[in-house]
Parts: sequence; structure tokens; C-alpha cells
Amino acid sequence: MPSRFSKATLLVVAALVAGVLTGCSASGNRVAPGDDTGPPVSGGTLRFAVLDAPANLDPHSGSSYPESLITSNITDKLTYQNPATGDIEPWLAKSWDINPGLTEFTFHLRDDVTFSDGTRFTADSVKENFDLLGLGNKQLGIVPVTAYWVGYVGTDVLDPTTVKVTFNRANAGFLQALSLYFSGILGHSTLQLPKEQRSLAQNLVTTGPFTVAEHIYQQKTVLKKRPGYNWAPASRKHNGEAYLDTVEISVIPEAGVRTGALRAGKVDAILDVNNTDEAPLTREGYRIVPQLIPGRDIALDLKTDLFPTNDHAVREAVKLGWNREALAKTVLTPSYKVSSSVLSSRVPGYVDFSKDLQQDQQQAERILDAAGWKKAADGIRVDKDGRRLELALLGINNLVNNKPAYELIQQDLRKIGIDLKLNVLPIPDYTAASTQQQRWNIQVANQSRADVAVLEQVYSPQFTNMSKLAQGDPIYQQAIDTLSAVSKTLDKDQRAKAAEAAQRFLLDEQVLTVPVYNPAQVTAASPKVHNVGYEAQSRNVFYDTWIESR
Amino acid sequence: MARYVLAKLGQAIFVVWGAYTVTFVLLYVLPYDAVDLLFDPNQGDLVTEQDKQNARVYYGLDHNLVGQYLHRLFDAAHGDFGASTRTGEQVWPLILSVLPQTALLAGFALVLAVFIAFAVALTAGYTRTRWLADLVATLPAAGVSVPVFLVGLAVLQVFSFQLGWFPPTGNDGFAALVLPAVTLAIPVSAPIGQLLIKNFDAGLRAGYVTVSLAKGATRLWVLVRDVLKNAGLPALTIAGVTFGNLLAGAVIVETIFSRSGLGRLTETAVRTQDVPLVQAVVVFAAIVFVTVNFLVDLVYPLLDPRLRTRVRTRTSV
Repeated sequence: MPSRFSKATLLVVAALVAGVLTGCSASGNRVAPGDDTGPPVSGGTLRFAVLDAPANLDPHSGSSYPESLITSNITDKLTYQNPATGDIEPWLAKSWDINPGLTEFTFHLRDDVTFSDGTRFTADSVKENFDLLGLGNKQLGIVPVTAYWVGYVGTDVLDPTTVKVTFNRANAGFLQALSLYFSGILGHSTLQLPKEQRSLAQNLVTTGPFTVAEHIYQQKTVLKKRPGYNWAPASRKHNGEAYLDTVEISVIPEAGVRTGALRAGKVDAILDVNNTDEAPLTREGYRIVPQLIPGRDIALDLKTDLFPTNDHAVREAVKLGWNREALAKTVLTPSYKVSSSVLSSRVPGYVDFSKDLQQDQQQAERILDAAGWKKAADGIRVDKDGRRLELALLGINNLVNNKPAYELIQQDLRKIGIDLKLNVLPIPDYTAASTQQQRWNIQVANQSRADVAVLEQVYSPQFTNMSKLAQGDPIYQQAIDTLSAVSKTLDKDQRAKAAEAAQRFLLDEQVLTVPVYNPAQVTAASPKVHNVGYEAQSRNVFYDTWIESR
Repeated sequence: MARYVLAKLGQAIFVVWGAYTVTFVLLYVLPYDAVDLLFDPNQGDLVTEQDKQNARVYYGLDHNLVGQYLHRLFDAAHGDFGASTRTGEQVWPLILSVLPQTALLAGFALVLAVFIAFAVALTAGYTRTRWLADLVATLPAAGVSVPVFLVGLAVLQVFSFQLGWFPPTGNDGFAALVLPAVTLAIPVSAPIGQLLIKNFDAGLRAGYVTVSLAKGATRLWVLVRDVLKNAGLPALTIAGVTFGNLLAGAVIVETIFSRSGLGRLTETAVRTQDVPLVQAVVVFAAIVFVTVNFLVDLVYPLLDPRLRTRVRTRTSV
């Protein structure tokens, strides 16, 4: 006993000394996702807790984070985007040929792949999937996954392992779109079913390293490893079957309870870690593994069809009027990043615009003064007709940082005479409210897609037209030309040039958007859990994950 | 008596129909187009009018409202509330599948609540120390004013994370039921306790108690034998209120303790605007509510002789 006591005392003293030496640093060691040591062991169950209940398990339409997390683990895609490099690599397609116009994509498929019901994966499987994704099906109630499939003409089966996909316009982003979680390949029996039945766990036939063994809504989803799986992308950490026997994904809605369950050893890893829990968990020895979500950052999208955001000066002032350092210090943790462009730094083609995205309130005030906005008695500016400089913002409260971030911006903008009105709503209310035209000056959301094509998808008047550019507007055609350039080439240099031009157009020339921060997925895991990983769009994938036996 | 029962039954059916109709109006007529809610907000203008029209036809939203209403009402009367727009599962079986969890939680919490209420009321009534009686009498007020989620998080922290006596989450077994039930019982016990304390207070000052005490009965004897009997009956009146408290509390408790159940299902359905599911839950709650009240209405005349005569005279007129 005495010896144990003295050992404990020694440890405490050592800890105190270490604490003093490191200046009582609170940051601790952040465990990077790559530094897991030791040879992987097979077997075991990973107990994983998430915030939101996955409801729609249809891989082609389940879009919430936990839904796409599950479908990312059970489906394979034709192409694989390397999460580290952003490169597009072979997966179910061994190779591909593309015509110079980027309208015809011919894929050469693997011939050794089977679905979880034993049927073979062939060129017909690809055609069946792509026709539903690109065209939808009225009888089955399936709407096409429009954003990624605009201009889809059809798929021709050339032979059992070759297909040709045709578009009526250049689609440089297509290879990357095929790697998205929306593009998972489903078996014939699943694709026959009407929309509602496709989302039921027992109906899912897929080719992935895991299958859904059990799914109880709002309680848990159990993934089981698929025996005989042998077609992982080459750049994964291993090939063959997954290490884990099962993954038990449970739903714990309360952030405090999720962290508590991890600390109490009831679960091995949790997603959706509260900002305030990151530092303490790190100190206690848990791994905090963040990955920035690639695509378009959380950004203030300014509408040009509505007063007063139709005024370039106002948009410019919104860009210059608030403090990014304060955002990083008071709202975000090191897992997140203040935006330095409208594109996430993880997207190939990203250009650092941070020197333009700086607070300069004096400059902002000069611009507003010059444009005829004069401060009224209450400190808010008015134009010559007496109309207030008031901006209605519509945002989603699905991420913990959103509301505090917008409030910070609101306070800063008030100082230069802009009255920002916040409406930060839950997803369904946001969905409904966003259909109200001519009501919002600013809409804020992010878009996860690790390809510069995301900019065309969101801002081009031919697509979502987020800035509501009107046909008569002189910049209407300019926007189409500038943004569509990224879809017209796969040449790395040319595409990078087009990407830079697109970012400059959106951020500097027209100020159609003011990016705020790059959201991240944050996983906290017990030290026994190794290779906590994400696919390119930052959905957890458990294929390489392994766990030390308990 | 038969007419009394039929009248009450008619009232009950009317309430359920009313609940269905009001939710239909709220969900399908106001305030947004139900079709818009089926799509990802970020897809915005990319979803073509044709796609929306296809979805409208697929979900039967293209008929005129009266037609939709009658059609859905007819289906609902046969127990078919359609499929959840989120999960694709049929909503009525979905509700029935989570019902046992909530029934167990609510039942256990109710037993605990009644126990707590009586314990508090008896202590308050029995003790002669004035300040202690007053203190105990304020407990029910405290019970309702402390937020349920705070109680839940506190008991979790102590009994699950620190002491490790009970599992923090899930539905499996009795151990997982204890903390949620205690959490839920506290606010539910409050109105019952309050009523009992008032009635005990009035009862102890009644003439027949003075007589008993004069005859040499102890305070406890009087309390249990005489006062309790008379004070317990009105507690039945608040059964309906208690039921509401149980359901409302279950929403929070099931979320904190990650239990599947009707409360959490309701919360998610509302949050994700899963229209068929919300409607089925409202109708279900209405059915339960009117059933409880119907039973109370039937039981009351049996317990209270004064009501019995009133029912008889009214039905004989």
C-alpha cells in the first residue's frame, strides 16, 4: 500500500511539474488522424454515437450527416476521391476515357465485384443507377439528383464491363460527382422499389465493406462487415475485409450526455463534439480528430434582386465590416478555420484570398458614405430616400457555431451603420423560409463537395443562381461565362486558372458572397480506437478503423 | 346510464375528429407548400417545376384540398395514416412500435410520482413543526419550477457518469428505466402533491377529525384512516392533467436519456416536418386523452354517490 501511495504522489508531483513547465498549457496534444501506431487488429465492435437520428437510408437521397455517414460505409462508387490529395482515383471503375468536349465518359469496370445479395455488379447495374440518378422516375416517386446530373442524356452499355455516359454539355465535375456519397451503386432489387421502400434498411442491396444488419429508428443502426470484400480503392490503408466486425451507431441527442457516455466508457467514439468539450477531452487523453468539410464554406450569400443588397457598396461594406480574428478566438476552436476564400482550402483550385477578407471598418464607412448612405440618429444608415440600411439574414442552426458567428458579425456591422436582422432556423423551417422570394437579403449555408464545380452549381444563373442575378443585369452573362469555365476543362492548369477567376469574380469583383468559416466534422475517440477516418466529403468511414481488444 | 355513456362517447369521437381536422388544416393548408419541404433547401431552383409536379402527383397533393381531406380522413378512419416522408415506414405501426417504451416509462413514473406526492403530503400533514411543514409544502412548487432537462442532466451526471450505477442511455432493461422515470416523476408528482397537501390541510381542520382526536386517536391514525380517504378521491380529477404532464415530460426525458419512444418520435417529427407522422401522433394523443377522460367520467359516478343520483335524474328526464 505505502509504495502505491508514494507512486501516486510521485505521479501527481510529476504532473504538477510538467504542468508548470508547459506554462499550464490548456491545449494538450492534438492527435492527428495519421499518427496511430501499432499493427491493426481485426475484430471487435466500435460503439459510435451521433447527434441526429438517421431516417432515410436511401443512399441516393439520404442527405443528412448521419444518413450519408451510414450510406458512405455500405456503398461503393465508380470513382474515389482521395481525401488527402483531392485526386480522383479508380474504384469500381478501373479506368476511364473522356472525349475532348467532356461530354462522353467511357468507364471500364471491375469484373470481380458482387452485391450483398450475391448478384454480380455489371455494366447494367451502372446504367440502372445512373438513369435513376440522372432522370428520376415518376412512377417510383424518385426525383433526379439534379445538381450533379444537369445535362444528363443517358448511359449506353457497350459490353458487360464497359459503359458510356453522355451529357449535352461539358461536365468536368462529373468524375468527382461520381465519388460523392449520393452516387453509391445500388443493386437491382433495391432500384425496383418505390421511394419509401428504398429507404428501409432491409431493402438495401449494396457492394460496400459493411451492410446494415439492424436499424431501429432513433435508437441504433448496426453495420456488419461484409465477408469477402476485396475491392477497396488502392490508396486506402489496406485492402480486403474491414477490420471491425460490427459498428454500432447509436443516437444520443444531448451533447453533454454524448460526452458523458464517452467518458464513462459506454461508447468508444462520438461525433458532433461540443466546442467546449474539445479541450478537456484532449487533456484527458481522448483523440480529437477533426476534418474540414470541403466545398463551399459557410458564406453570406448576398441577393442582388433586393434592396439594399443590390448596391455593390453595401455588399463591399458587409465584406469589410467585421472581425475575423475575433471569430476565431471567441467562437471557433482549432478544429475549424476562418474562411480565406469561398472555397474550402481542401478543394483543388482553392486560392487564398485572406488579404482581401480583412476587417477594414474605415474603408467600409468611406464606401458607404460615397454611395450616399448617411448615419441616422440611431446609428443606422439611411439612403437619400430615408430607407434604412437593414439586411434580413436567413441561416440554419444545424451547426453549433452558426448562431454565435452571425451574432458577432451583427455586432460589428452595427458599428458601421448596418442593421443585420438574424433569422437562424432549424433545417425544415429554413427549407420552407428559403422558398420565400424577395424576402432575404442574405442566405447562409455551406455545400459539401470537394470540387470547384460547386461554385458553378451554387452561383451560376444557369443553376441555383444563389445571388438571384436577373437576366437584364450586365453581370448575368459574365457570371455564366466565368463560372462555367470550371466545367469546360480537366487540364489542371487551365482549371486552376478558371477556379481563381471564379473566386475573384464572386469575392472581389462583384462581392456576391462573403465567406465566414469552414465547418468541420469533429470526432472524439477513446485512445483504443485507431484510424478514425473520413472520406473526401468528411463522412466517417470505418473501413480502416480498428480497435484494441478490451 | 346508457345515454350518459353514449353522450360521453360521442364527445370523445368528436374531439378525435376535431384533432385530425385541425392538424390537417395546419399541416396541409398553412403556411407553406408541402411539396417544397420534400426537397433539399440547397437544391433550390435546381428542382424543376416538372419534378415538383411529379412529387405532387406521387404524394396525392395534386387533388383539391377537400378531396385530399376526405380521402385522407377515410384512410385514417381505417388506421392508414400513410408513410413517414422521412423514413418511408408506415406511421401507425411506427407509433405502435415505440408505444410500449413510453407506456413503461410513463407508468413507472406515475407510480413513483404518486408515491412521492403522498410521501410529501403525509409528511407535511403529519409534522407539527411549523417551519418543517411549510418547507415540505413548498416542495411541489419547486418540483414544477425546476426544468426537467436540468434534473435529467444532474441525475445522469451523479448516478450514471460519476457513480456508474445506471446506464446513461438506451431502452434495455429496468436499470435503464430508473433515472428517466425518476426525472419524469418529479414534475408529475407536483400537482398531485399540491392537491393532497391542500386537502389534508382542510381535512385536518374538519369537524370529524376533531371528534376523532378528542376520542384519543393519534394524528397519524386520523390522517391515514379518515383524511386520506376523503382527500385521495379528488386526485383522480387531475388524472387528465397528469397525463398531459407525462406525455410532455416524456418528450424531454426521452431525448436526454436517448430512449426511443413516443415523445422523441413526436419531437423529431415536428422538427423535420414529417407531416403524416405529426398528424398520426396528434390523433393518437387525442385518442389516449379522450379515452382517459372517458374512463374517469365512467368511474366517477361509481365512486361518488352524489354524482350517481345526478346522472340518474338527468337521464330519466
